[in-house]
This record gives sequence, C-alpha cells and structure tokens, in this order.
Amino acid sequence: MGTISIYIGRLYKDFKGGILVLPSRTIAFFFCLLLLLIPLITTEPYILRVLILSSIFAIFAASWDLLSGYTGQMNFGHALFFGVAAYTSALLNLHVGLPPWLTIPLGALAAVLAGLIVGVPCLRLRGPYLALATLAFPLILTGIIFVIPGITGGELGISGIDPLSGSRLTDYYIAVILMLGLGFVMWKITASKTGLIFHAIREDEVAVRASGINTTRYKLLAFCLSGLFAGVAGGMYVHFMRIAGPSTLELMLSFQAIIWVIFGGIATIYGPIAGVFILYPFMEFLRIIPEIRMLVFATLVVLILLFMPEGLTTWVRDKIEKECPRCKLRNIATRKSCRVCRADLD
Amino acid sequence: MSYPFFEVENLTKRFGGLTAVNRVSFQIGRDEIVGLIGPNGAGKTTLLRLITGILRPDSGRVRFKGKDITGFKPWAIVDQGITGTFQITRPFRRLPIIANVMVPCLCPRALKRGEWVKKIEAKAQDALEFVGISDMALEKASSLSHGDLKRLEIAKAIATEPELLLLDEPFGGLNPAETELLAKSIRRLHKGGRFGRLHSEGPTMIIIEHKLAELMKIVDRVIVFHFGEVIADGTPEEIVKDERVIEAYIGKEVI
Repeated sequence: MGTISIYIGRLYKDFKGGILVLPSRTIAFFFCLLLLLIPLITTEPYILRVLILSSIFAIFAASWDLLSGYTGQMNFGHALFFGVAAYTSALLNLHVGLPPWLTIPLGALAAVLAGLIVGVPCLRLRGPYLALATLAFPLILTGIIFVIPGITGGELGISGIDPLSGSRLTDYYIAVILMLGLGFVMWKITASKTGLIFHAIREDEVAVRASGINTTRYKLLAFCLSGLFAGVAGGMYVHFMRIAGPSTLELMLSFQAIIWVIFGGIATIYGPIAGVFILYPFMEFLRIIPEIRMLVFATLVVLILLFMPEGLTTWVRDKIEKECPRCKLRNIATRKSCRVCRADLD
Repeated sequence: MSYPFFEVENLTKRFGGLTAVNRVSFQIGRDEIVGLIGPNGAGKTTLLRLITGILRPDSGRVRFKGKDITGFKPWAIVDQGITGTFQITRPFRRLPIIANVMVPCLCPRALKRGEWVKKIEAKAQDALEFVGISDMALEKASSLSHGDLKRLEIAKAIATEPELLLLDEPFGGLNPAETELLAKSIRRLHKGGRFGRLHSEGPTMIIIEHKLAELMKIVDRVIVFHFGEVIADGTPEEIVKDERVIEAYIGKEVI
C-alpha cells in the first residue's frame, strides 16, 4: 500500500506542477478529459455524431494549419487531400473489400501522393499564384469524377461503404482518440527541428536557402505531411458517413478549413482544433433558426476576427497568461513574479 | 596537382542591358582575408550573390577546392562550405533570435547525427555569444537594432561552419566602438578553433566594405571593383596608392 500511495503522490505532484501550473494546459487537459468522458453523460446518437464529425474536421483543419499556417504556403484547395483519401478509401472498400482499418491508411497514402503531385508544380509559386493554383486541383478532380460516373458514381457519389465499426459509441472513441493522438503528433512535429524550419520558411524563404537548407525538400515534406493527416480525416469521414460524394472535394470544405483555422488561431495546431469544436457544434445548434443560420455564423466569425485578429485561442491565452519579460516562460496572469526566474511580471 | 582554394573565372552577369559583373576572374588562397571594395553599383553584391548561388551567372565558372560549383543551388553551396551574409539583413522577424541561429545550425553541413533541439540550441547560443548578442537570445528578432541585426547575420553565417565566409558590409551602420568589436571578432574567427560548442574552420573570408580604414586593418589583400570589372588587386598598401583606384573613388583630376 505504501508504494502505491507514493506513486499516487508523485503522480499528483506531476499533475500539479505540469498541468495545473498554466491555465492553458489545464483547459487542454480538461477538454481531453471531457471528450473522453462525454459518453458517461449522454449517449444521444445525434450529439455523438456532431462530436465525431467535429473530431474528423479538427484533424482536417489542423492539417491545413500544419501546411499553410506554418510554412506559409497558402493552400486554398485543401479539400483535395480529403477528397482523394475519401474516394480511395471508398473504392478500395467497395471493390477490393478491404476493411476500414486498412482503407483509411491507404487513403491517407493516396493523399500523400496527391500532396506530391500538387506540391511539385507549386514549388515555384508564391502568394496569390500559389493560392490560385492549389484552388484549381480539387476542381480538376471534381471534373474527372463527373466524367467517369461508372467508377466514381458521378454526382451521387459512392454509397454502400462499410461502417467504421458497428456502434456509434465505438465510432466516437475511434474518432476522438485518433483526433487527440494525431493532434498531439502534429503539435510535436511543429515543435521539432522540422517545425522550426517550417516557421523560418514562412518568414523568409531566401534566407533559409542561404542558411544551407533545402527548402524544396521541406516544402514538399509539408505538403505530404499535411496530405497524410487530411487523408486520415477523409478516410474516417467516408467510413463514418458511408458515402463518398463530390461534396468531399467542394470549395466550401477548403474554405471552411481556413475559416476554422483563422478563427481558432493560425500556426498553433491547438487553435484549429478549438475552432472546429466551437464552430461546428455551433453551426449545428443554429439549425433551430435555419433562415439566418449563415448570417449569424458569418457575423460571429467577422466579429471574432475584428477583435481577436490572431484568433480565439491566441487571444484567450494572452488574457489568462503572461510572458515573463526575462526568461520568456509563460505564467498565469494572476502571478506577480515569474515562477522560475522570479522576475517581476508586467 | 595543385589547384587554387577558391577561383572565379570570367564570371558574367547581365540584368537586361546592364552588365553588373563583367568577365571577373580572381583566385583566393586558403587562410586569406580579402577585401572587396568599389564605388556604389560596382557589382560587388551581385558578385557575392553569384558565388552563393542566389543568382545564376550568365557565363563563367566558380571553383571551390578544385570543384566546379557554378549554378549550384544556394543550399548545395552552403553544403560545400561557402556561406554569405546579406547586406540588407534578412532575419526571421517573428521568431526569437536564438531560433534565427538554430535554423542554419540545422543545415546538413553543421548538423551532426543525433543532435536534438537542446544541443542545437546550445550551439546557437554559442554563436550568439561569439558575436555578442547572447543576452538577447530570447527576444523576437524584430526587436533588434540595426547593428545587432548585422551581428545576427554573421552569427547565422558562422553557424553553418563555413570554410569560405562572404561578408557583405558587416560594418555598415555600426558606430566606431561596435565596428572595433566586430573587427576583433572577425579576426578571432579567422584564427579558427572552438567557441564553446561552435566549431570554426578558421574560414577564408571575402569582405565587402565601404569603411576602408577599418577594412584595411583586417585584410591581407584588396580587390577593387569598378563597373563590374576588377581594376586593381593587391595588398592594402599598394591599393591606397593605386591611381586607378583613386580615380574610381574620387574622380580624375581636371586641370
């Protein structure tokens, strides 16, 4: 018993020192905890469905952030990765008969390939030209899909796909755990050496080249990584909705990803996740007033961007936390002195 | 067979009708410090950009340690061991200063196998220490003064552990005290050795500079540029007496 209590004590100490010390970490922790425990509160299929879709779109939005927020390569056709993975998963499932746990990774690999195909011609393009070129790719694919309805189902899409699992609850846990896991992986990537180079490419690409770093390789890597994560989201979406239609390649989906990211906070990874989990359920909630749904949504987004130009999470973080002027560590806003170097805050 | 350490042969670059660099040839030996001077618009910076691969030459060859590196991509040239700084500094403004130096530490040439972020950070810190701005390491690069940006630029260059370092107006905009400090650092760097975790090859240097008095104290040899051509090449003592150089800088005496 003694040993166990020591371990519990140590765990509590780690928890207090590592998570409760910063309000942002506390919020993130309780957000994860809440997501995992929601089925204890309610198993209402509709609520679970909204949260599953939120999780899937959170992966999708975070993957856009990984590419465009970090390396600054504005991708206006991010739905391409989603759609390619969606159709690949659907076709593999329907015609080859592979189970979802195989089709989703294979769909993601197809999206990586799409990332390469888009990335190579886009390497030389910058700013608005890059945005326009990437915008074209999902449109081209939509055109191809309409040309060969025999394989792709045309405008109706492919239906009759295997479900993710049997029950809504299992679906929920698969989606949420995958979202938290992939979100963590993306966050770790951005905090690594590679992430630093992505940051630097956004700031000044020529200077990065002059520093001896092969920016071509890193930009392609960003396209592929982003494609991979968006592809997982696309495959999940297909197996959850059990239909792969042209809506997965829609312009609106690409722009929605951008809205979510900019709303939540660009170049943060956790921002897009927060953005999706706020905006997507909110959109569903607004179905009670279908006539002015879009208007309310747009007003909210515009207001947020007007008063919090760097996004919601960044704004909130600045309010509840202060950066130490000396050691740059973040502290809870109520502290008078830094928790590490004891320098006076404010 | 022996070959020159660094050699430029008939290098030419045209911008439309303007020939910025016209059939320039020179050689530099290992361990030299060479000053590159000339009036504004003589093509000095263009020459540097041709060497570092940011611009592609129209004709001519650049050879480094016997290897033809003409037309290599900028990162491949850094990989060979040539690093240049920018005259107009190009920091990553929204990143901390330490991160600015960590980026060049990540280039394949400087990166040792199995080095993690912490180790690289320590190395970058040593580079900053070397140029004397390590106390500001955690500030954003946008908060630096012009003189400190110049030093940051040099820290970024030496973080790639070059064998040939090209400095584009390192003293530009610095006050005399800062200039003196930086000149000292440059001489120290040239001697080579280890500065903390940072390894210096004791690079050969080409320095473009307008502050001739300071430059002459450092360099072994001066190459003078005018209208994209080399008009003089020799020791500082010879150059200051050279009539063509005086003419290029001050103009011909009219009687």
